[in-house]
Amino acid sequence: MTQDRRNPSFLQALVGLGVVAIALGLAAGALTIPSAAGYGGVGPNFLPWLVSVGLLACGALILYEVRSGGFRHLEETGPGEVPYWGGFVWMSAGLLLNAALITTLGFILSCALCFVLASRGMRNSQGQDTSGLAPWLKDGVTGVLIAAPVYWLFTKFLAINLPGLTNSGWL
Amino acid sequence: MEIWSALIQGFVTAGTPVNLMWAFIGCALGTAVGVLPGIGPATAVAMLLPITAKVDATASMIFFAGIYYGAMYGGSTTSILLNTPGETASMVTAMEGNKMAKSGRAGAALATAAIGSFVAGSIATVLVTLFAPLVAEFAVKLGPPEYFMLMLLAFTTVSAVLGQSTLRGLTSLFLGLALGLVGMDQISGQARYTAGVPELLDGIEIVLVAVGLFAVSEAMHAVLFEGKVVESQNRMSRVTMSREDWRRSFPAWLRGTFIGAPFGCIPAGGTEIPTFLSYAAEKKLAKDEYKAEFGHQGAIEGVAGPEAANNATVTAALIPLLTLGIPVSNTTAIMLGAFQNYGIQPGPQLFSSSAALVWALIASLYIGNVMLLVLNLPLVGFWVKLLKVPKPQLYAGILIFATVGAYGMRQSAFDLFLLYVIGVLGLVMRRFDFPTAPVVVGMILGPLAEAQLRNAISIGEGSPMVFLQRPMSVTILVVVLSVLILPHLAKRFATGRRQA
Repeated sequence: MTQDRRNPSFLQALVGLGVVAIALGLAAGALTIPSAAGYGGVGPNFLPWLVSVGLLACGALILYEVRSGGFRHLEETGPGEVPYWGGFVWMSAGLLLNAALITTLGFILSCALCFVLASRGMRNSQGQDTSGLAPWLKDGVTGVLIAAPVYWLFTKFLAINLPGLTNSGWL
Repeated sequence: MEIWSALIQGFVTAGTPVNLMWAFIGCALGTAVGVLPGIGPATAVAMLLPITAKVDATASMIFFAGIYYGAMYGGSTTSILLNTPGETASMVTAMEGNKMAKSGRAGAALATAAIGSFVAGSIATVLVTLFAPLVAEFAVKLGPPEYFMLMLLAFTTVSAVLGQSTLRGLTSLFLGLALGLVGMDQISGQARYTAGVPELLDGIEIVLVAVGLFAVSEAMHAVLFEGKVVESQNRMSRVTMSREDWRRSFPAWLRGTFIGAPFGCIPAGGTEIPTFLSYAAEKKLAKDEYKAEFGHQGAIEGVAGPEAANNATVTAALIPLLTLGIPVSNTTAIMLGAFQNYGIQPGPQLFSSSAALVWALIASLYIGNVMLLVLNLPLVGFWVKLLKVPKPQLYAGILIFATVGAYGMRQSAFDLFLLYVIGVLGLVMRRFDFPTAPVVVGMILGPLAEAQLRNAISIGEGSPMVFLQRPMSVTILVVVLSVLILPHLAKRFATGRRQA
């Protein structure tokens, strides 16, 4: 288990800085939008500026809250709640590989892979014994059993294009 | 009398075998997502939005509406049997329902929840039938300044009033508005924040944001923090109510309905306030002999009232959605997105331009409520089995459905990477207690509000004074300001008195 030893106010400050960064990014983008308002008085750059300024104010206030004792009215999180990053890595791998491989492997196999990896992360987080080949196989079969009917339902019944390994529409 | 002939026509449309089938699948699916932890009606509707490309508008709106209120029935089952509410609306039900289940009265709690939902849902549907056309008639008279103010009211209530912190709510709202800005400006056709990526000209898909924020972030949260959480399930008992249960439940259902329905009608969003109000009312009004049951063995009124209030609110929330085009919750915001996919803009004209669709939708609410009563009373045992699905397979399975929703909309693998990024954003928001509803409402309503704002100022010939020159718009502005300021003043007043 990894222990998150960082100070909570450090993480909160990061969140505040993130909000400020997004606000500045939006403002930079707003600069490039022309203000051609016509006779309406308000052009396409009005709302972008409003959002940038509003978000900047929110970010500043969040940072102020962090400096003066942390977020207000934050729901209590249990003291024993330590994030389990190992499981998160498995799940992220599943999601990102799915995104990278879906057009090559086809929907069914790519989603089954995502299922296997995400399920492994969850099993590990629960402290299940995942050694040996059996859990991999079980999850692989379950993944295909979920992904395949979903694929057929969407491609055959609803005529929505999902990528396949072959052009048959079945795999 | 016009209403009745329109409603009968609606029943004819909704009663075709195909539409009945969609209503049934929607109700069943809604009950399932309500029961399952980790996935709610907003996620389910969002994931299934791609079907709008093929299925016709009436059928898919009937289907989505079925999911929407079916989830309210299913949510109560989970909150009574498990101590983790499937969706936020059933948090209050969990308080008394769980206590009842622990003292061996799970069956009575489930029955009063299901029948109460039916009673409240049906009464609220009658209210929708009677009042929606009236509101629409009135809304035709509203101009852009009034619409803009109404949308401002929706923004204010969803971000500043609900949730723990006004600051974090507003931050979420601005994030949502920012997401809504990406793409082509509706009025001038100017591209904004597209960074030269042609896909972004059409804007960011709402499916992507909703599925990322709700489903993917939920799975990430589960794997990071919930591995060691042990859940215990209460024992089932026969789903019946005694005579006394009926006598105690009935008035509570009615009170809950009449507390809940008005909250759905105003753009003030959320079921938290009406359900808590109903709970407080039941606790206060309970006879002395039953008062002791609250918080101990579990009082049946404490389940019956809030469940009814919950269903009345969600059903009545269809009034502002259909007549004004203003969504007040995550799910109604996504349903607005579904309408937009068909090129339909809900609003006062909807009742004349798409009368067949609207009335079929309203008729399907009556039919759906009956279906749900059957699904949730005799068949409740079937849904309870869903609680046995192990967490790893449940969350991994949710990710497969998330992929279908995100990929099916635009067939772009890039969207799946974006889905991951939004999932991480949702995870951070959840950890630091930022509400997600303002993001979705801001994203969908933002572009509409902007158009109304610009039209309003055009009407005022460039002067923002136009908002102050029209009585209706001033009135709503006053409401907005009081919604923002009054709670803070009240808090200050209360602490001042305590110190004095």
